[in-house]
Formats: sequence, C-alpha cells, structure tokens
Amino acid sequence: MAWLLEAHGLVKDLGGRRIVDGVDLHCEAGQIVGLLGPNGAGKTTTLRMLYGFLRPDAGRILVNGIELGRDLVRAKRGIGVCTQDDTFDGDFTVEQNLTIAASYFRPRPTDLAQRVPELLERFELTPFAHDKPETLSGGYRRRLMIARALVHRPRLLFLDEPTTGLDPQARMGVWDLVDRLRTEGLGIILTTHYMDEAERLSDALTVLARGRVVALGTAKAVLGDLVGEHVIVLDAVAAPGVPAWLAGRGRGEPASVLGAWHVPVSGEELAEFARAFPAVRYEVRGPTLDDLFLKLALEP
Amino acid sequence: MSWLGAAIEWQSRAVVGRHLRVYLRNWYTAFLPPALEPVTMLVAFGLGLGGYVASLSWQGRPIEYMTFVAPGLLAYATFMTAIFQSLFGAFIRMRYQRTWEGQLTTQIGLAHVIWGEVLWAGLLATMYVVIVALVLVGFHLAGLITIAIAWLPLILPVSFVAACAFGALGLCFTALLPTIDHMNLPVFLLVLPMGLLSSTYFPLTQPVLVALNLANPLYHLAQAFRGLLLGGPVVGPLVGVAGLSALVLAVLVPLDLRLLRRRVLGD
Repeated sequence: MAWLLEAHGLVKDLGGRRIVDGVDLHCEAGQIVGLLGPNGAGKTTTLRMLYGFLRPDAGRILVNGIELGRDLVRAKRGIGVCTQDDTFDGDFTVEQNLTIAASYFRPRPTDLAQRVPELLERFELTPFAHDKPETLSGGYRRRLMIARALVHRPRLLFLDEPTTGLDPQARMGVWDLVDRLRTEGLGIILTTHYMDEAERLSDALTVLARGRVVALGTAKAVLGDLVGEHVIVLDAVAAPGVPAWLAGRGRGEPASVLGAWHVPVSGEELAEFARAFPAVRYEVRGPTLDDLFLKLALEP
Repeated sequence: MSWLGAAIEWQSRAVVGRHLRVYLRNWYTAFLPPALEPVTMLVAFGLGLGGYVASLSWQGRPIEYMTFVAPGLLAYATFMTAIFQSLFGAFIRMRYQRTWEGQLTTQIGLAHVIWGEVLWAGLLATMYVVIVALVLVGFHLAGLITIAIAWLPLILPVSFVAACAFGALGLCFTALLPTIDHMNLPVFLLVLPMGLLSSTYFPLTQPVLVALNLANPLYHLAQAFRGLLLGGPVVGPLVGVAGLSALVLAVLVPLDLRLLRRRVLGD
C-alpha cells in the first residue's frame, strides 16, 4: 500500500521524561486517521513530530515517501497544518493571510490568483476577505486556519483539535468541510477531544496512552478490544456489590460519572451480571470513546 | 541546513519579505519617526545644547557640536532601530501574534525565522539610516552642519552589518525574558547606556569608558561614520565594526537558535 504518511518507532523525551515511546502511525490518501488519547498521552508531541515541528529522538517519518529527517523542507511541501490555536497573521487581512502563507512554500503555488478566491469561496470567507482575522467569529477563524493550511495544495493535512471551542453549528460546518477534503483524496490526521467527532469523521483510530499506541483500527474494533461489547450504567448507591463482583473478575474500580457507575462488559459478563444482580435496575448501552478515555484515565 | 547557511536560503528572505510588507503598508507612520527623531535631536542637542558647548575638537581641529553629533545620530539610529525591533517587534511576533508558530508549520524552519528577524533588523535600521541621512543632507544644504555628503552611501552597508549584529543581541533577550514587562531590564541596563556612552553624542575621553568601548561595535560604528563624514581615521573603526559584528553574529545567532528552540519548540 502507498502510504501518504508512515511513522515507525517514534520516540521523544522532553524535560527528561519519555513523552512518546515507540509510536507507529500510517495514513493513506482519502483517509482520516483519528489520533486520540487522554491528556498527557503524547498526542500533541506525536503530531508535532509528524509535521516536522519537533525532531524525534528515534524513529522514522516518511511523507509521500520522503523521509522528514533527511529532507524536511521537501517533505513539508506536501503537508498542511492547522494548529490547535489560531496562528494566522494578525497583521494581514483574511485574503492576505492566504497569499502570505503561500509565500512560505517552494515551488511556489503557481495558480495563486485562482487558488485564493477559490479557497475564500469554498470556506465561505469571501465576504470577510478584506477584514482582519481577529474580527471573525470562532467558526470562521477555524475556516481560515484550514484554508491557509491548504493554500499550497498539500496531500496530507494535520488538524489539531479543529473544532475546540466552537458552537455545535460551527462544528458541523467544519465537519462537512473535512469530510469533503477526504473525498477529494487528502490524507488527514485529526486529533480531538470530542468523541462524537472522532467517531463520525475517522476511518481509523490510533489511541495513545502514556506515550504508546494502545489500540488502532476502526472505532468499533478499538472499542470492542479496549472497552467491551456493552456498558452497564447503574446507580452507584443501589449496587454496592458491584466493585467486589468486578474484583472477582480481576477488574479494578468501575468508572464513576455523576454518581453512576459505567461498567464495560462482554456479552458473557452481561449475562453473569444479570444473574448476580437480579434486583438492581440498570441500563445497557453500546460503548463510546468516552468509555475508552475513562478506562485509559483510570489505568495506572 | 546549517545555522549559517540558513541566512542565505529563500526561507529567510521570505520572512524578511513578510516583515517588509507589513512595514510598507504603514509607511506613513513607519517613516515619520526616523525622519522626525534626528530633527529633534539636532535641534535639541545641536542648536540647543550645542550653544553651551564652548569648544569641541575633532582630529585636532575645532568643530561645531551640531556637526560632531550628526554622524553619531546615524550610529545611534542604526543601534536603536535594530535592537528595539529585535526586542519588542520580535517578542510580539513570537509571544502575542504567534507569527513564528504559523511560519514554522510551513517550509520555514526556526533558523530561518531567526535569520529573518536578524536580517529584518538590519534592513529596517538601514532604511531608517537612509532617512536620517536625508535629514542630515538637508541640514548640510541649509548650512547648519558640514559633512562630506558624498560618503553617505558608504555608510549603508556598514550600518546593515552592524544592525544585524545588534539584532542578534536583541533576540537573545527576546529568547530569555519571560514577559514584555521584563524588557525594561535590557533597555535601561544595556541599551540606553550603550546608546549614549558610545561616542554617539559626545567624544569619549574618560580612559575606562574608552577601554570598555573597544569591545563595543556601536563605538566603532560612530567613529567610522565620523571618520567618513567629518574626515578622520576610517580603516581602524571599520575593521572594528566588521570584526566585532562578525563575532557577535557567530556567537549569538547559534545561541539564539538554541535558546529559542527550547522556548518556541519546547525541544
């Protein structure tokens, strides 16, 4: 398979601590790979290595077959980056932000006279073309950040928490744009804290915990492997015997959310639970990435 | 990419191009201060204070104080423009505008950002010096000062090289100081004393000051400009400017890169 992005055995120490420890990651054209993990899992450091911001202490990264460590400048020609924080150039208008970003690439984008109006139109920024970016709402700022990351026609796009802080309508607008970019053949690496975003957009997930990949695959496969087939939700006060029941199966304390326990179980365990607690009222639902994060956060 | 090679790569020029584009867009506010400042200085120090200076000599011949100050103004403008740009301008771009972070997501590397800032400090200072020089030409034609205006074009490359060194010095503080409020420390402890005690506004005769200034590129710059425009030794001061500027750049640009790698990239 021809990968747009290949990362093998990435290792990074910062401040004397191992932040990323042997991470592998792949992305092909027309695919969105969700990079997930709880805070401190090493997502941002991994992402920063992948787009050439940080140098890995060990491991290899290839973008379009070009090794970042050998020819960073050429590899970065094929990369677009939308950082988590707005880093547009406040000294320029929305339109000028696109042209100035294009000036940071060689070979220069040749069709800039068409490309800039096309991006403004596509991201619905045309009415604000001559405004300063700081006058835009949060949703349009994000649009500008993504448009700027695309001005040089990269094949691989990094989106670092692209919808953080946006209202639901603006989030869905960004989702639509990202989805269309995928259909056009861009490879996209997406980090997010929103589980619904990761589930809806990602074709594959790479889950990090403590700097290591703990799961990869489709959302369904990752959840099945790491969480379980079902999640039992019950009032913590009504079923005091549940921790002991879990301990009997070699499991730790259940995750507690607002006084309710969320207990991931397999199909067999669900049947055993029903037999063990016939008088307890509970709800059974499918696992979500929230459950995965809770599980990873609770693990020592 | 070596730290030195980055100076001449297209990415560094792209960074300079970005700063120039911003600057020229506000040309009417940008060009006013360098035009008015020397006028104010010449009037205040030359016509005002100069009236109280009984006698002043340069290379053994008497000289008007206003004429003595004129080359010093060019050196002072070179220093102040470059160091303030790399202190405040660069700090604002790095910390508040996050311009650097945006640039670093492209084919621009940190060494290019740093060289871009250094070269921009050099270019901006040289542009200011051109304006100050034009003001001096006006004063010369009005008979208020007497300078060798034919030598003025020669000061531009000298000014550029020295300003790049001053820019590298300013970036060191930008890399080290935690907030913009801390800029008062280098401004009052280094920049103002250095700007005023480098033979810019008065001839240095105090032996300790003269000895200290031998390692100061601004002192040699002021002496070189004075030698060119008023007639006097030129080669020695020019060698001093070139040598010290090269030394400052060779030491401070790699240091800036190291400090800013930690600060900007967290590496």
